[in-house]
Amino acid sequence: MSLFSNTAILLGKELRTEFRSRELLTTTAVFILIVLVLFSFAINPGTEEARQFAPGLLWLAILFASSLMFQSCFLREQTNDTLSSLRLAVSDPFAIFLAKLIANTLFLLMTELLMLPFFAIFYNIPLWSKLPVLILVLFVGSLGISIAGTAISAISAQARMRELLLPLLLLPLLTPVLVVSSLVTGSLLDRDPIVQWKGIGFLAVFDLIFLTALWLFGEYLLEE
Amino acid sequence: MGKRVILGAVAILLVIAAAYASFYVAPEERTMGVLQRIFYFHVASAWAGMDAFLLCFIANLLYVWKRGQKYDWLGVSSAEVGLVLTTVVLITGPIWAKPAWGIYWTWDARLTSTFVLWLLYVSYLLLRTLIEEPERRALLSALFGIFAFIDVPLVFFSIRWWRTQHPAPVIMGGPGSGLDPTMNKVFLFSVLAMHVLAAFLIVERYMLEKMRSEVDILRREAEAQ
Amino acid sequence: MKNLNSVFAAYLIGWGVFFLFYISIAKRTNDLRAEVERLKNSLPRGK
Repeated sequence: MSLFSNTAILLGKELRTEFRSRELLTTTAVFILIVLVLFSFAINPGTEEARQFAPGLLWLAILFASSLMFQSCFLREQTNDTLSSLRLAVSDPFAIFLAKLIANTLFLLMTELLMLPFFAIFYNIPLWSKLPVLILVLFVGSLGISIAGTAISAISAQARMRELLLPLLLLPLLTPVLVVSSLVTGSLLDRDPIVQWKGIGFLAVFDLIFLTALWLFGEYLLEE
Repeated sequence: MGKRVILGAVAILLVIAAAYASFYVAPEERTMGVLQRIFYFHVASAWAGMDAFLLCFIANLLYVWKRGQKYDWLGVSSAEVGLVLTTVVLITGPIWAKPAWGIYWTWDARLTSTFVLWLLYVSYLLLRTLIEEPERRALLSALFGIFAFIDVPLVFFSIRWWRTQHPAPVIMGGPGSGLDPTMNKVFLFSVLAMHVLAAFLIVERYMLEKMRSEVDILRREAEAQ
Repeated sequence: MKNLNSVFAAYLIGWGVFFLFYISIAKRTNDLRAEVERLKNSLPRGK
């Protein structure tokens, strides 16, 4: 079986598992909402300065939410002891990672889109006209977060203190994504909006580099 | 054992010589005066630190490929020494910045990137403490080390771009500021001295790690009885 | 010469960090050597 069909089947499994309970989606969405509200208490909301902080705060909220979201990624397989059967079922272990990271990107994107209306209202930022590019930025950023998150989840699942370890390992690694995504989103939502294609290109390069690294080294992450 | 002592002695001599050169051979810089002399120590440490992390990356790759214990020992040793050197960079940077800019931390692009680098390798070492089984620890930390190192250029580029959008005071002059030839020679000599010091510290740390693993085996034999 | 204090501080603290690191390695090495002796002595007795 080809990589494509293996991935498609595993992706179907990931999506079905999640949509049965929808627990990951709902908890992540609510978490982002809580963080956005808490940020408002920490700064002075409604002012012009708050508007300028808003894009960065959005991405911070996404990053924190993703640290929680990826906990279950490989832990689920460990607790149910399904990892060895998964590895036997596919010829290329990369299919397992590919399926998980596509699923994670989709889940992350869905929660972000759900949160956008709240974000627009809380920080008084009109999004509608810039929506297509905004979704593009959310996509390239979330893809990077998912690729790194899936890899790190595989590592932390095999160590102690995994709940704390995952963000510890993941967040420094994702600094480029936070920096560039916030910048690009900020320019996009500014009073005189600019599309920073250089930044979007950088995020795409980040995604490509980590995807390649995961492809080269993924099988070792799953070694028994 | 003798070779290690010689390496240590050479390292100390070179470091002292480099310090002497930094103060007495290098001419005084026009605008910053004597404060600029921190540059020789600060940047030489930064370069040696990066090379230590590069060595760690190579050791990580070799471990994943060949699974020899010695690569794991080399990985942790070079990561720790790299972290020590990077710590020195992060301490000397603010010491320079306070008299020059009036504040300790200016979010300068290179120093900020160096801080993220520091965090990445602290995480690498923390990960190692949280996995008990030696082979699993070696493999997983090697894999994280690989991801961390490929992230480094991305961190530096992104933060540099970030700072061009929001300019901030630069530590010790931007990339354009050329060096007078004598200063350049003193600088390169400092770089050499730091690298030899780093090499000495890596060797010592490696030997400690090697001994630790031998003791673990002995301990297990003793417990088995 | 103003700022000379800062320059000295930078060099001394830097060297201090290297020195402390080396001392920590040396101490751990000595502790390990002592443990090796202890373990080697306990082994033949066990047999």
